[in-house]
Amino acid sequence: MKKGIAFKGLAFMVMAAMLALLLAGCGGNETSGNGDKTEKVSITIWHNWTGQDAKAVAMRKIIEDFRTENPAIEVIDEGLPTDGLRTRLRTVAAADEMPDLFVMWPDAMTKEFVKGNLLQPIDEELNANSEWKNNFIPNALDGYTVDGKIYSVPMNLAPSSFIYYNDALFKEHNVKVPETWAEMETAVQTFKDKGIIPIVLGNKTNWVAQSTIFSTLADRITGTDWFLKAVEQDGAKFTDPEFIEALTKLQELGEKGAFQDGFNSIDETQMMQLYFQGKAAMVINGGWALANLVNNAPPEVLDQTHITILPAIEGGKGDPETTAGVVGTGLGVSKKLTGSKKEAAMKLFYEMAGPEGQQATLNSSTLVSYKLDLDKEKAHPLFVELYELMQHVKITPVYDSKLGSATVEVVNNGLQELLTGGKAEDIASKIQNAQATAVGN
Amino acid sequence: MNALRSRRFILTGLAPAVLLYTLFVFVPVIWSAYYGFFNWSGIGEAKYIGLDNYAEILRDPVFWRALKNNVIFVLASVFGQVPLALALAVLLHKSNWLQRFLRSAVFLPMVLSTVVIGMIWQYFYHPQIGILNFLLDSLGLSSWKLDWLSDRDIAIYSLLPPLIWSYVGLYLIIFMSALQNIPGEIHDAAKIDGVSGARKLATITLPIIKNTVQVAVILCISGSLKSFDLVYIMTKGGPAHATELLATYMYNSTFTTYRYGFGSAISTTIMLISLLLIGTSQWLANRNKSKQT
Repeated sequence: MKKGIAFKGLAFMVMAAMLALLLAGCGGNETSGNGDKTEKVSITIWHNWTGQDAKAVAMRKIIEDFRTENPAIEVIDEGLPTDGLRTRLRTVAAADEMPDLFVMWPDAMTKEFVKGNLLQPIDEELNANSEWKNNFIPNALDGYTVDGKIYSVPMNLAPSSFIYYNDALFKEHNVKVPETWAEMETAVQTFKDKGIIPIVLGNKTNWVAQSTIFSTLADRITGTDWFLKAVEQDGAKFTDPEFIEALTKLQELGEKGAFQDGFNSIDETQMMQLYFQGKAAMVINGGWALANLVNNAPPEVLDQTHITILPAIEGGKGDPETTAGVVGTGLGVSKKLTGSKKEAAMKLFYEMAGPEGQQATLNSSTLVSYKLDLDKEKAHPLFVELYELMQHVKITPVYDSKLGSATVEVVNNGLQELLTGGKAEDIASKIQNAQATAVGN
Repeated sequence: MNALRSRRFILTGLAPAVLLYTLFVFVPVIWSAYYGFFNWSGIGEAKYIGLDNYAEILRDPVFWRALKNNVIFVLASVFGQVPLALALAVLLHKSNWLQRFLRSAVFLPMVLSTVVIGMIWQYFYHPQIGILNFLLDSLGLSSWKLDWLSDRDIAIYSLLPPLIWSYVGLYLIIFMSALQNIPGEIHDAAKIDGVSGARKLATITLPIIKNTVQVAVILCISGSLKSFDLVYIMTKGGPAHATELLATYMYNSTFTTYRYGFGSAISTTIMLISLLLIGTSQWLANRNKSKQT
């Protein structure tokens, strides 16, 4: 009998020890939060300013300054790389556990988050400060407006398609910087013959070709109206001849050898490296690449680099003085915020997206959707060039900002297929099917 | 009485593990199977659509390509890793310095993270600065140069060498320990009977470690059905779905196009396929056993 009790006791102890271990593992961080008795308001912010580029550094500095100026507010910030942030936001959205503030994208993402009842509008704050509201460039708030309510403001401007070209190579081989499609084809041919990569492309993460090249190229041919109609599936379809012409145009460019071998197996970073090494005459990338270029390109390439937009295409319906782009990311404000927490969050919001935040962004060689003058003495000459180019170039929609995520995936994979010999008609009908399904839902 | 008590003790001891396993394996599997019946983007209302997700999977050519690629991976593992590891184990089971060095060299990839392996091979295949193309150039075989990971027709085959290379070490260790477990008397008896070399290998060594080989094959099948990381790092399933595996197909559907319901249905399908394959191999093994007795 005594033995039995001892045995039972042992069994209990083993189990208790195991459970204790288990609980210790799970509950580690709960104790630290409760011990603090001061009236500290704590807010969380998730962002993608993790890199060493000027923009990320500037944004992190704003958070740092905010901390020192507001000792009563505890800011818990978490930085994630862009792709990771998007996925993570989706995941917490599914669990309804949004952070207080988070970097979010206009159009599709904003709409879905509003539909999921995760955001609160910021009209009140904007209307209370009309100078702030009215200084945004025209249509800048559209991507963040759902059913007449404004949910955020853009903190930058992201044109997604510029040609950065190495002028030394153009001069050396006596090539004209392309202003028409025919000139583009000549340039490609000449550079290819000389053993220089005409346009370096890194399309392993498959949004690159779509966002940086195809969105603008297609707009040149189809015009913006057609695209917006096709998105709504209202009077236009992705199987229309103009869209197939756009696909074919890109394929022809690829077949002429515009892109280096193996462009589907290197990513955007490696693509920029090849350009930095002076092995490529051109690289087509968004405005965001400029900060990277200025920080990382060796002087002999950087000093020779200039910026232009994709050339006009004869017979196309689009305005040639445009480039694809989106107003940049904004901060989402969680629906759950109230009282002093909301006050603290909106204060940080204004620091980052208000006039001073916009100025800091502009000073970090990043375009903004806000009316500000650039201090041309201080800015890098290449950024001044970009800034001046953007004074007369209009923005047209990027494919991945307007189409649903399922269709975007089909477009991205379709372009990879197209550039490795797929048939334009087949790809067009896949895209059409995907978008028809998405709109039907 | 005593037996009952010790059984109770065993049950109490097992309970935490079973509890954890149920909580983190069975519950999510059932949960995920349940979501498979919904059209759900992760945000907002989930709409019940019955078996539509499954019907879509079966109609989706990408699914069939992923399945085909997975089968290629399983075959490459079973017929690449296992025989190679067996041959190496037989050759390297003595212990002079060269064999010790070679063993460590073969085992080395096992201690590397898949991310590192992926990066190494990506640079090996790199179209501009890759060693492989450079090697072909210097051998005068420039015409053999290919876009190893970029060409839709060959990308999946380019992934096989890293796959085989990275797991051979594991099976090498398993086979070596099996070989060392063969009692010395058997070797002595073989020597007395004058059996050596290839004949000894075929008639004595291999039959003795047959069970280990079977286990290795099962490990190989289930391991390569789960493959994800290597492909995700090296090609992300691209170009244009050419290297999509079931796991990357599921991941991309769930986290790139945000179709959580559809992704859950794919997970459930993968589980069913795995159960089917493992069930079949178990059945085959058992049938062989009952034949022998």
